[in-house]
Amino acid sequence: MHALVTTMGTAGRVDQYTLDNGLRLVTAPASTGQVASVNLWYGVGSRHEVPGRTGFAHLFEHLMFQGTGNTEKGDHFDAVERLGGDINASTSTDRTNYFETVPTHALDLILWLEADRLATLREGMTQEVLDNQRDVVKNERRQRYENQPYGTALERILRLAYPVGHPYHHPTIGSMADLDAADLDYVKSFHKLHYGPDNCVLTIVSDLESADVLARVEKYFGHIPARDDIPEVPDPVLRVPMGGPVRDSVTETVPAAGVFIGFRVPAYGERGHDAAQLASAVLGQGQGSRLYRSLVVDRPIAADDGGAGADILPFRYTDSLLLVNMLAREGVDGDILEKAIREEVAKLADGIADDELERARAVLERDHLHHISSPSGLADTIGSCTQLFDDPELAFTWPRRWADITAEEVRAAAERFLVDENMLVVRFDPEAEA
Amino acid sequence: MQQTRPDLGAASSYSFPKPERVRVGNGTVVAVDLPGQQLISLRLVHPFGGAVEPLDAMGVTALTSEVLEDGPDGNSSLAPALERYGAEWVARANWDGFITGLDAPINRLGDAVGLFSDAVRRPALKADDIVRRRDQLLERFWLEAASASTLAMRSLGGQLFTGRYATPLAGGPVKLADITPERVAAFHADTIAAYAGTLVVVGDLSGVDLEELGRGVFGDTAAVPERRITEPAPPPGELPRVLVVDRPGSVQSALVIAHRAPSRSQVELPRAEGISEVLGGMFTSRLNMELRERLGYTYGAGSRFDLRRDSGVFFMSTQVEASTTAHSVTSSFEQIAKLRASGVTEDELAAVRESNIVGLPVAYSTARAVAGALVDIVVHDLPDDNVDRVRAGYEKLTAQDLNSAAVEYLRPEEAVVVVVGDAESLRGPLTETGVGPVEVRSPESLWS
Repeated sequence: MHALVTTMGTAGRVDQYTLDNGLRLVTAPASTGQVASVNLWYGVGSRHEVPGRTGFAHLFEHLMFQGTGNTEKGDHFDAVERLGGDINASTSTDRTNYFETVPTHALDLILWLEADRLATLREGMTQEVLDNQRDVVKNERRQRYENQPYGTALERILRLAYPVGHPYHHPTIGSMADLDAADLDYVKSFHKLHYGPDNCVLTIVSDLESADVLARVEKYFGHIPARDDIPEVPDPVLRVPMGGPVRDSVTETVPAAGVFIGFRVPAYGERGHDAAQLASAVLGQGQGSRLYRSLVVDRPIAADDGGAGADILPFRYTDSLLLVNMLAREGVDGDILEKAIREEVAKLADGIADDELERARAVLERDHLHHISSPSGLADTIGSCTQLFDDPELAFTWPRRWADITAEEVRAAAERFLVDENMLVVRFDPEAEA
Repeated sequence: MQQTRPDLGAASSYSFPKPERVRVGNGTVVAVDLPGQQLISLRLVHPFGGAVEPLDAMGVTALTSEVLEDGPDGNSSLAPALERYGAEWVARANWDGFITGLDAPINRLGDAVGLFSDAVRRPALKADDIVRRRDQLLERFWLEAASASTLAMRSLGGQLFTGRYATPLAGGPVKLADITPERVAAFHADTIAAYAGTLVVVGDLSGVDLEELGRGVFGDTAAVPERRITEPAPPPGELPRVLVVDRPGSVQSALVIAHRAPSRSQVELPRAEGISEVLGGMFTSRLNMELRERLGYTYGAGSRFDLRRDSGVFFMSTQVEASTTAHSVTSSFEQIAKLRASGVTEDELAAVRESNIVGLPVAYSTARAVAGALVDIVVHDLPDDNVDRVRAGYEKLTAQDLNSAAVEYLRPEEAVVVVVGDAESLRGPLTETGVGPVEVRSPESLWS
């Protein structure tokens, strides 16, 4: 019987409340004192974007720092930074989250700032900040996608994995043209449509009593009305298989051939997803993984990535993606590397040894434990488990999901999902030398 | 009902946890008990960083650090063995230290530490493994340098220093090729295997016997020798000047403006770090407010000190839309000039002070972060209450302190501007800025 790596000592000390306006609050104890981590998961992401408005959920995230009815542009960042706190936000396909970690005495101020931008953002929004943040986001796109070798890989992967019109067909960063088209009225309507307390999970990890935290949250958020209308979500159902292998081959200025391979696997939260995640760990997570042993150490034809050759891009509302990525060694042709990776993937269906599975479980558990070992990581994980599964305790018990999955189940998942008909390939090859 | 903005109450006072020091053989265990922290961070610190490498063995430290991952049995066997314990290997060579370690769940610590000691003291160091790691490291240099910001940072050393710092830490794309397996074995035998070092341990230590831990890790190794410090000389050349590292077709330019700074022991940390925070250390700092939040040229801009035992570097860095490169350079210089001429505002002083006083519980909210502070203390020979001393320095900090620091520590007249971007379109506009002479180089020519 597989034993969990460590005891999840905080489980059972999580409290969950729902305010009259629909806001869900989760409280949990922090393992170090004097800090409060606040994390808001809003149920809006790039999957809610409509054609012509790609990148908007993310651009909007930027605008949430640009002033409100009661604060000036930059106030929010300034307030947290001068407390020595951590502050940021991120947008994915499925959600947008905003988070701060501050000394405990500042919790009320953070709750006020968060409640204020939820309630009064539209009153502070101006054309000037919209124009500025549009430029900033375009530079974010340049920095992360266009000016990076292989930077467009994700965009290309999503384009192949999900059909035109599907809400996961486009990346969260959006297109330059759509960013240009954003206007002030649409910003305001987006806030009205998606930013209501009824669409938010607020998680607070601190050393305060949960009743105390609840009273403070009631004080600052209790007056904010729920949304009038719940927006329709673009249909995420996939009606036809990928029909692979599908390919996108790119020749451009890259330092080495790069191979990106993807497979559709079950949605995040399904048991099939957990089996696929174990398959990805056996295949490419850690230096004991097959891809690392075979292609970095033994042959060696792939660049040393420290054991990060495979991972899962988890989507809750549609098929997730199991992704494999390696770069070729000097003098190694992309075709050779691609063939070798595909052979390793195919071999999973021949069988997985118990000790390989044990290692894979230990790696996944370790990473999970690392994530929840900081107050902010714990708050984020609880927010995720509550928003997506309505079960905050999952943040502590998640590794149990892997405990009773057998090697045969992982093998069968590989045999079913990691096949050519369900495969996409994005290949980067360097331009031939003049 | 909507509430008015609440006033902040008083912050609780915070003290960095007092470490327990246990002398075991010729080494020292420095431990902090954080009850409830199930993940233990363990770091073994040796004072053998890249700065003390001989010039004919540049990169041996970095390569050895990589090769240890092959483990006592060789053939990349260490990480997989640790992965089975849910432990993660840490190996990091920087300019001033050679740091190895583990993050491991407390209930597997004993097993993991046994393996760790063998890996550090008795690695296989097989020639095949070393050659494979070396060749991978050499190739990785250019894979990583394909990113403009990485290339810009790596180009900096040769502009500011002669000697070891002129070549990147891992030996660059040329020097590292000369390192033989024999050289690695000799380096390891003379340093990491020979000397005890200092062991940092942080986490829930209720069931941990520190002496036993120390005995297992130190064995009969010797006490580390004293280090000698000599400040490296600058290279010749007019200052300020501009180096363009050509990256044709870049839609953004990676921009670093840097100059030399005093060493860690020479600077007054709250003054130096404080003025850097005002200029570029925070989101709300002047550079980011100007280049990002007003001009929209970038996704972010910042500044910081890199303070070493024998010298230091101050740098500002950003990545800007290609067409705004020259204006971004002049705007950055304007921000420095303004700060030097007019000093800080009361509000900026308050932000610097408060963030470094009340924010400490946030900074040290994980075992890893506390371990990082202790490693810093060991590497730089700082007192155990260093974090509290630095905080006390911030409590006393005045506007005058920061204003004098702006003049003392920000030296635009001694700066080198490194721009990685499309040279053909950048040369003209950068020359017109009048900052200084503009030189264009290909990346390949920088470390031949």
